[in-house]
Amino acid sequence: MRKFKGFLMPMLLALLCPVVLWAQVSVSGTILDSKNSPVTGASVRLRNSTIGTSTDATGRFSLNIPSNSGQLEISSVGFKSQTITLGTIEVANMSIKLEEDAGKLDEVVVTGLATNVKRRNLANAVATVSSKELAGTAPAQTLDAALNGKIPGAYINSNSGAPGGGISVRLRGVTSIFGNTQPLYVVDGVFIDNSSTPAGLNTVTQAAAAGNPANQDNPSNRISDIRPEDIESIEILKGASASAIYGSKAAAGVVIIATKRGKQGVTRFNISQDLGFVKPRKLLGARPLTEQRVIDQEWNVEEYRAAVAAGKIYDYEKEIYGETGFTRNTNFSMTGGSDKTTFYFSAAQKDEEGIVKYTGYRNSSLRLNVDHRITDNIKVGFTSNYINSSSDRSLTQNDNAGVTLGVALSSTPSFTELHPNSVGEYPDNRYAASNPIQTRDLVTNNEKVNRFIFGINLDAILYKSPKSVTRVVGRGGVDYYGLKTNAQFPSTLQFQEVAKGTSIQGFANNLNTNYIISLVNNWNPSDNLGLTTSLGMTQEKHEFDNLLNTATQVISGQTNVDQAGALTPVQFRTKNKDDGFFIQEEATLHDAITLTGGVRFDKSTNNGDPDKYYAYPKASVSWNLSRLGLGENNLFDNLKVRAAYGEAGNFPAYGSKFTAFIINNIDGLPGSIVDRIRGNAAIEPERQTEFEAGLDFTILNNRLSVEFSWYNKVVKDFLLQRTVPPSSGFALEWVNAGDLRNRGIEIGLNALVISKPNVKWNTTVNFWKNRSEVTKLVIPPTVLGAFGNTLGTFRIEEGASATQIVGIDEGSGGLAVKLGDQEPDFQMNFWNEVNFFKNFTLRFLIHWKQRGDNLNLTELLTDLGGTSHDYDDDKNANRIPDGIDRINQLGVTARPFVQEAGYVKLREIALYYNFKVGWKNIRGIRLGVSANNYAVHTDYKSYDPEVSNFGSGFSTGVEVMPYPSSKRATFHISVDF
Amino acid sequence: MKKYKYILLLIALPLFILQACKKEIGNLNSPTTDEFLENASKAELNNLVTGIESGMRTNLPMYLDVMGMIGREMYRFSGAEPRYTTELLGFGDATLDNNTFYLNNPWQSRYRVVKNCNLLIEAANNSTLLNDAEKKGYYGFAKTFKAYQLLINLNMTYDSIRIDVADPDNLGPLVTNPQALQDISDLLDEGLSDFSGAEITFALTSGFSSAFAALPDLNDQAGMVKVNRALAARVYAYRAQWDNVLTALNESFFGLQLPLSYGISHVFTTGAGDQVNTAFFPPNQTGEVRLAHPSYVPDLQPNDDREGKTLQREEPASSNDLTSDRDVWVYTSQLAPIPIIKNEELILLYAEAKIQLGQFPDAVTALNRIRQEHGLTPYAGAITQNALVDEMLYNRRYSLFFEGHRWVDMRRYNRLSELPLDRPGDDVWVEFPVPLTELPGQ
Repeated sequence: MRKFKGFLMPMLLALLCPVVLWAQVSVSGTILDSKNSPVTGASVRLRNSTIGTSTDATGRFSLNIPSNSGQLEISSVGFKSQTITLGTIEVANMSIKLEEDAGKLDEVVVTGLATNVKRRNLANAVATVSSKELAGTAPAQTLDAALNGKIPGAYINSNSGAPGGGISVRLRGVTSIFGNTQPLYVVDGVFIDNSSTPAGLNTVTQAAAAGNPANQDNPSNRISDIRPEDIESIEILKGASASAIYGSKAAAGVVIIATKRGKQGVTRFNISQDLGFVKPRKLLGARPLTEQRVIDQEWNVEEYRAAVAAGKIYDYEKEIYGETGFTRNTNFSMTGGSDKTTFYFSAAQKDEEGIVKYTGYRNSSLRLNVDHRITDNIKVGFTSNYINSSSDRSLTQNDNAGVTLGVALSSTPSFTELHPNSVGEYPDNRYAASNPIQTRDLVTNNEKVNRFIFGINLDAILYKSPKSVTRVVGRGGVDYYGLKTNAQFPSTLQFQEVAKGTSIQGFANNLNTNYIISLVNNWNPSDNLGLTTSLGMTQEKHEFDNLLNTATQVISGQTNVDQAGALTPVQFRTKNKDDGFFIQEEATLHDAITLTGGVRFDKSTNNGDPDKYYAYPKASVSWNLSRLGLGENNLFDNLKVRAAYGEAGNFPAYGSKFTAFIINNIDGLPGSIVDRIRGNAAIEPERQTEFEAGLDFTILNNRLSVEFSWYNKVVKDFLLQRTVPPSSGFALEWVNAGDLRNRGIEIGLNALVISKPNVKWNTTVNFWKNRSEVTKLVIPPTVLGAFGNTLGTFRIEEGASATQIVGIDEGSGGLAVKLGDQEPDFQMNFWNEVNFFKNFTLRFLIHWKQRGDNLNLTELLTDLGGTSHDYDDDKNANRIPDGIDRINQLGVTARPFVQEAGYVKLREIALYYNFKVGWKNIRGIRLGVSANNYAVHTDYKSYDPEVSNFGSGFSTGVEVMPYPSSKRATFHISVDF
Repeated sequence: MKKYKYILLLIALPLFILQACKKEIGNLNSPTTDEFLENASKAELNNLVTGIESGMRTNLPMYLDVMGMIGREMYRFSGAEPRYTTELLGFGDATLDNNTFYLNNPWQSRYRVVKNCNLLIEAANNSTLLNDAEKKGYYGFAKTFKAYQLLINLNMTYDSIRIDVADPDNLGPLVTNPQALQDISDLLDEGLSDFSGAEITFALTSGFSSAFAALPDLNDQAGMVKVNRALAARVYAYRAQWDNVLTALNESFFGLQLPLSYGISHVFTTGAGDQVNTAFFPPNQTGEVRLAHPSYVPDLQPNDDREGKTLQREEPASSNDLTSDRDVWVYTSQLAPIPIIKNEELILLYAEAKIQLGQFPDAVTALNRIRQEHGLTPYAGAITQNALVDEMLYNRRYSLFFEGHRWVDMRRYNRLSELPLDRPGDDVWVEFPVPLTELPGQ
């Protein structure tokens, strides 16, 4: 800290130096939108100079310029920039109208750690999601869910339908196998944590005991804490060519989130209230039973007859998964400020029930964002966000103890009685290891988070001349959360006969701190050349401490872990410190050609050598042909070609360089046994290189814009826990195993289809496809990520797709052959907004994922349990029930489990009615109804093609008895005053 | 411009100071192998000894399940795991998979203990804080239990095992029988010679204590020798070296008149970081069950109290066309110990050696000792080698039920075809394939 101070002080002193201005001509005016309303905060700038200002609450500006010549550039978010040539016009009290920017060409995109560029000069296909697209249609439960289907190039997959999130986001294919596959999230300059902390359920479920030792607890990931309603915009850097400046954190892409800021002017308030309900999207149905079927199944036929006579045949699946959950979401926000200080405040609470009784998600959040201008040259911004979230997720997914809802249901026939008797005692389930009704009612599986995120932005002009301005930009902050997982299994549960009550309580503390300090110089040596140099240093620290206490033999009715006969604590800590520095140069020629070059150097304590710096260079060029006068034939309003190259990295996981001894006690003696995973002292980060090229154009008077991108992304030295001969004493070993390539294209099309006074229809269509291939593998093919060859698994193999699914097959001689691929053929989305009769807005989003396979083991389990709804069908007309046909395939071929999981989903649809009211203080009211996932077309046989038993890592798309997904319907009311 | 340069310098200076600090965070969660290999203390070596004892239990219940299933001693049903009833029993066209949990998990767990044994030897050897007698104690323990763990894996793959695994980057070859068994014997012999003149400075669990006041614990130097020789006797029997069986038995804790349960075992507690015995399931469970094979009771001789190793269920349990109405009831609580080797087995090894050496009266005496303990009348069958082998295998079947012996015994005597097949198309496997991950090119 002392060092830090030592270098800040002289810098602050430097800020106090006087700043010279050359002021001769005064320019002033008002900026209005197409409806003649003032545009506040619009930027007014003399081209190729450092002179500029922004409009006040009434849309007015005034500015002193050296002479009455040159060009004024006026820009504002959401509007097309306008250039006004001075010299011949009246410069006092100008009235300037801005047009809305349908093609987003003038959107400012952050391309460096402290610099940005307009989309028209951008060299990468950076996807942006506005607040309207994010939360303005049919709001999803969590932020990551709200991104689904909206980002070209992304493969977003919900792990299950459990309340509180749990989503995998992959940008441009699978970028890592054992390293981090999830993008870095940066909120207002703060690198925030998106990890998942398991609740230790494995003690009860034994899910990792047999086929796959990976965690299968279905935890949520922490990005879900951030409220979508607070977000102004999101930028997604999809690969190294755009994200290289983030260095070794950026291989999986970077999601840059800007939250809402205050606006100068009168204080404005908004209250929004959503009310709605969730229902299961699909239930599989129960098997219709007959006496013969009960006998064939070796079930108790007397019990069946008695149940039929008493009319007590139940649909347990519906009883457990078929609840209608109520949802509410309340949001209050307040914004305003003076010309010096502006603020945005929000307080919000979301409370949603799940489709399983006693499950749900609750998120309460407070946010205060303050911006303050200390002097004309120094601006500071503070963002603070407190979040309290709680999710009850019940017990679902894979297990080897027969205790999760789904696994128990799979062997439970409809005629057995599971309901509690009049004194509240649940009968034991004779057909499974647990009674799912009892499990649902008595088990607690809760995650609770208290999180605080604080960010600081400092932007100070150190030196300013007519041609050059030097700024220091500092950004950084803290992300801290305490997470508590609480899993309770009272002793009365059928499956707690041995453990006699289990209480698993986990406490996790996570602290991320980071800063970026950079010097940025803009220099305009001539009217046609602009140079931006940035140089800076970064540091990220991460500390995680998780204490998980598992108590068994719990005293009846108690939950505290000390109220127990046996207690096993486990503590897991990680810590790393990463340092870096960077330099970047951007040159703009004639406002048409933009050249960028930069390099970032990074080191990390997670690397085999903690002192070695790894360099991540980048370079890009974009050439706006229309700006150079080549588009004068009027066909193209805007035409740009672009290319970018960049490298980024992915640090090894904490501890991967050590071979550890694991605690292994017996009979009161402390023991150490060597870990199953062999460390590798020479482990290095993965390196991703990406080349991207593209062509963007706008035609038909800016009504149609097209963006075409091609990329080739190579991950070198990808990290893998390779399987080693188990006789070595190890099961796995960390290695830098080979190279992996993703290639793909993205085509985006945005059109203003209808623009009439009464109807305005804006549509966006995106198409994206990605193909991966393991191009080099220095180790033998490695299977991972599922349950072995009999049931289908992933296999990393040179020359094959990284996400191929292999398994045994008829005639394969017991060897695994390729049976499918998890990667979709392509994806498309269709986003539409129709404004009609002035006040109505209809928005909808259709998301199409073409093919891509899942491993569906849910069907296998219900077949084996004799409960599949289609068990007795005979689709192949071989006079053997299909259920038995399928069982007979087990051990012969894994093909039946590899199932196509494409879909077309109407993800979001909403109709809103906005009206202005004349009541005193109320400015406007917005009413709306929305629905999510109400129409889904898929051939996938289970609950939802979006599923992942193994959470957000490499092996998504494996299904074992998930929490089924839901559909949502919501009524909205929002009042501005 | 001058000022600009100053500022640059001011920024750059702390930048390099900050970056220059050497930072190695280390492992925050547990010790590392490197730390133990560098002059380990006795306390650290003792942790490795305990790790070995503890680690031997990992996946042992799964091993008992697969050995019991293939040996047609019992059924293991699991709601979520179909492969117990399909692949292990050769249902239909299903065969044993060389890359799945029931093979890989126990196999890897045994070798993990072997690795700990090798690290113990290396760490003791590197340590300057021990005298030679103390070092020999660690060597002897490490070699004895390394041999035992290798034997357990050889029981699965039968004809193929890797013995030399000290260097993970340069593993020895896969060794076939009879060499593999001989290597295990040799390892036990090395352990024995290490124990001579050794000082035992480590503590073992109550699994090595005697439950009988009159009988000594097996956790001191003398006890270690006896344990080593008991295991050696089993290996000699597998190698059909019958004289050596008898010699080894003489140096072990064998006693014709000693209690049958005298011996060593794996113990379980609910203490922190400990394991419970998951080979225990409460009776009448559903879903996750262990059932006696339907032939268990019908094959019993009248009044055999070993019927009590199974329990009549309130309702039979079925899965995939397999049904049984008796629960396995060998381990009757989650704290019940699992025998490593016990006098009952040693008596039966004695009987077996005597049968094979044609010394039938001694064999009958030993068999009668077992019969009498289990409520049976003295042996009245034919005094021929074949008849006595039948009787000996009968007693091994019931005395060592669900301890992982039946399949091995039937294989030793080429009698796998006598094991019952429950469904048409079922198979009795001779051996597990070597795990895929052990094969060259994998």
